[in-house]
Amino acid sequence: MNLPNPFKLLWLQFRSEWRLYARDRGAMFWTFLFPLLMLFGFGVIFRSGGPPALTLVRIAPAQETARDRAFLQALENSRLKVVTLSAADAEQRWAKGETTAQLESAGDGYRLRLNSYLIAQGQVVALAASQAFMVAQARLKGLPEPERIPVVVESPGHVHSENYAAFLVPGLIGLNLLSMGLFAVGMVTVAYREKGKFRRLAVTPLPKWVFLLAQILQRVTVVILQTALLLLAARFGFGIVNQGSYAVFAGLVIFGTATFLAMGFALSSFASTVETYGAISNLAFFPLMLLSGVYFRIDNAPQWMQKVVFVLPLAPYLRALRAVFNDGATLAGHGTGMAIIGVWAMLSFVLAVKRFRWV
Amino acid sequence: MTEQIAIRGLRKQFPKVLAVAGIDLSVASGEVFGLLGPNGAGKTTTLEMIEGLTRPDAGEIVISGLTWERNAREIRARIGVQLQATSLYNKITPREALDLFGGYYPKRRGTEELLDLVQLRDKADAYHVTLSGGQAQRLALALALVNDPEVVFLDEPTAGLDPQGRRSLWEVVRAMKAEGRTIVLTTHYMDEAEALCDRLAILDHGKILRSGTPAELIAGLGIPSVVELTFEGTSPDPADFAARLGTAVEARGDIWEIPTPDPKTLLPRLFSVIETTQLEYNQVHVRRATLEDVFLQLTGRSLRE
Ligand SMILES: Nc1ncnc2c1ncn2[C@@H]1O[C@H](COP(=O)(O)OP(=O)(O)OP(=O)(O)O)[C@@H](O)[C@H]1O
Ligand SMILES: [Mg+2]
Repeated sequence: MNLPNPFKLLWLQFRSEWRLYARDRGAMFWTFLFPLLMLFGFGVIFRSGGPPALTLVRIAPAQETARDRAFLQALENSRLKVVTLSAADAEQRWAKGETTAQLESAGDGYRLRLNSYLIAQGQVVALAASQAFMVAQARLKGLPEPERIPVVVESPGHVHSENYAAFLVPGLIGLNLLSMGLFAVGMVTVAYREKGKFRRLAVTPLPKWVFLLAQILQRVTVVILQTALLLLAARFGFGIVNQGSYAVFAGLVIFGTATFLAMGFALSSFASTVETYGAISNLAFFPLMLLSGVYFRIDNAPQWMQKVVFVLPLAPYLRALRAVFNDGATLAGHGTGMAIIGVWAMLSFVLAVKRFRWV
Repeated sequence: MTEQIAIRGLRKQFPKVLAVAGIDLSVASGEVFGLLGPNGAGKTTTLEMIEGLTRPDAGEIVISGLTWERNAREIRARIGVQLQATSLYNKITPREALDLFGGYYPKRRGTEELLDLVQLRDKADAYHVTLSGGQAQRLALALALVNDPEVVFLDEPTAGLDPQGRRSLWEVVRAMKAEGRTIVLTTHYMDEAEALCDRLAILDHGKILRSGTPAELIAGLGIPSVVELTFEGTSPDPADFAARLGTAVEARGDIWEIPTPDPKTLLPRLFSVIETTQLEYNQVHVRRATLEDVFLQLTGRSLRE
C-alpha cells in the first residue's frame, strides 16, 4: 500500500491550517491588527519620548498685574501648555479629574495645587512652573535670568532618542511571541483535544508528526509576517530601523519563537478543558505582559520583584531584543539572560514532549 | 464467507467502570453487523478499541488479517470511521473537509460523488459551524467513506436525524453493503437493527448477552407474540391481574405487555379476567415479538430508558 508522500501531506495540511486561520476574524485581529494599533496608538501619543505636552491650569486673576503677566510669559516660554480659566470653570475641570496642576493666587503670592492621582506628571509641572517663576522674578527685577541646563533625551545606544515607538517595537514583537505560544498553540491544542478533533485525525493514516509540524510551521509563518509588518510600520511610520545585525535579530526571533511554542505545548498538557486552560494561560499572560517591560520598564518596582521578573522568560528576552534592535548591541552582555531563556526553552520542550496527549 | 474482523477476549477497565468485560466477535466480509445496547453498555468503547483509538487492556483484534501492533497505518488506510461525536474545524466547508481528508489516503472517492451520496450538495460550501446537527452527521458519514474503505465503523449514525434522514441513511448503508463493504454499526433503535443488520450482538454491562441474526434472536425468545393492552394515561399496577391470568404482565407507560407463545389460548382467558376485574382499558393488540422484547427479556430493561 503506498500512502501519500508525507511532504505533500505536510503542504496540504499547512495550507489548510492557513486557510482556516485566515477565516478566524478574532485571530486575524489579535495577531496582525492589534500590534499595529498599539504601535501607532502609543507611538503617536508618546512621540517625543516623554509624556505628552504637560498642561497647567491657571485661574484668571481678578486683576492682572505686571507680575502676573511676566509669570505667564515665562510659563509660556517653558515646555508647559497653559490654560487660563475662570475660577468656576477651573473648579469644574478639577472636579472631573482632568487637571494635573492648577495655579491659583494666594494672598499676594501663588499656590500650585496638584492632583493626587496624577502626582508624577504634577511634580514635573510643579518643577517647570517654579523654574518659570524664578525666570519671571529675575526679569521683573532686571536681574540676569537663571540659566537652564539643556536636557537631551537619548537611549542607552545613543539612538532613537526622541521616540517611544522605538521602545515599543521590540516589546510588541515579544508580546506577539508570548500570545502565539499561549493562545495560538496552547489554547488551540487544548480545544482540539477537548472537542475531539485529534481523535478524528487519529483514525486516519495522517502521521501525527505531519499534523503537528504543519501547525508549528503555520504559527512560525504567522510570527514572520507579524514581525515583518511591525518592522515595516516602524520604518515608514516612525523612521525606526534595526540598529543591530539583522542576523542576530533574526536569530533572537527564532529563539523566542521556539521557546514560546514549546511553552504553549507544555502548558496545554496541564489542562483538559478550554476553561481551565483559559484560567491558567491568563495567569501566565497578564503578569508576563505587564511586568516584563513590554510597554514600560518597571524600574520603580521593588528590587525583589524585578529579580523575579528577570528569571521569567520574557523580561530578559526583551532586554536582549532592545539592546540589539535599538542600540545596535551584540549579545555579549546578555549571557545570563540568554541562559535563563534557554533553561525555559529546554524545560518546556521536555515537558511538552513528555506530557503531550492526543486525547 | 471470509472473516473480516476477529475479536477475542477484548477487555477495557476504566478507573471506575469495567466498560468492556471480555468480548468475542467475528464479523464476516460483506456483512452488516450491529452492536445493540443501552447507554453505557460499552458499544463505543468496543468500537474505539477496534478502530485503534483506545488501547485494550487485554484481547486480540485482527482486521483483514492485520493487527494494530504491526500494521497500524495500513489498517487506518483501509477503514472508515464515524465517531459518536465528531468535531471538525469550525470554519471548514464540507467540500474542503472531504478534499482534505481524502488527501490523507492512498485511495479516495470523489468529493462530488460523496456530497451527492449524503445529499449535502447544497451545503457544500457552508461553514461547518452553520450546518444543522443532521447535516453535520451526514458530513461525518461522508468523511467515513472518503477512502473507499473495506470496513466501515458507524457509531450511532442515525442519532439526531429526522425520520427521513434515518431512512436515507439506511439507503446509504444498504448501498455500501451492495458494494461489498463490511459495516459495523451501533444503534439504540431496534427497528434500525432489524432493518439493517445481517447479524447483531446485544451488549449490556460490557458483555455480549446474545448474538445472531435478528430472526434467530427473536425465535430464541420462544415467545413469538406479545399481547398489548393500552390505557388512557398511565396503566394501573398489573400484579393482581397477572396473578389471576397466571402469566407475566409488564407495565410500560400506558401499555401492558403480555408475552405469550400461544395467543390463541391466552386471549379467551385474558378477556374473562378482564370481565371479572372490570378492567377499564382502551385497546388490545396482538403483535410479533421484536428485538425490543428480546432485549427486555435478557436485561429486564428497555433499550432506551
Ligand atoms: N474515557 C472514559 N473514561 C472513563 N470511563 C469511560 C470512558 N469512556 C467510557 N467510559 C465508561 O464506560 C462505560 C461504557 O461507555 P461507552 O461509551 O462504551 O457506552 P455506549 O454503549 O457507547 O453508550 P451510549 O449508548 O451512551 O453511547 C460507561 O459506563 C462510561 O461511563
Ligand atoms: Mg456510545
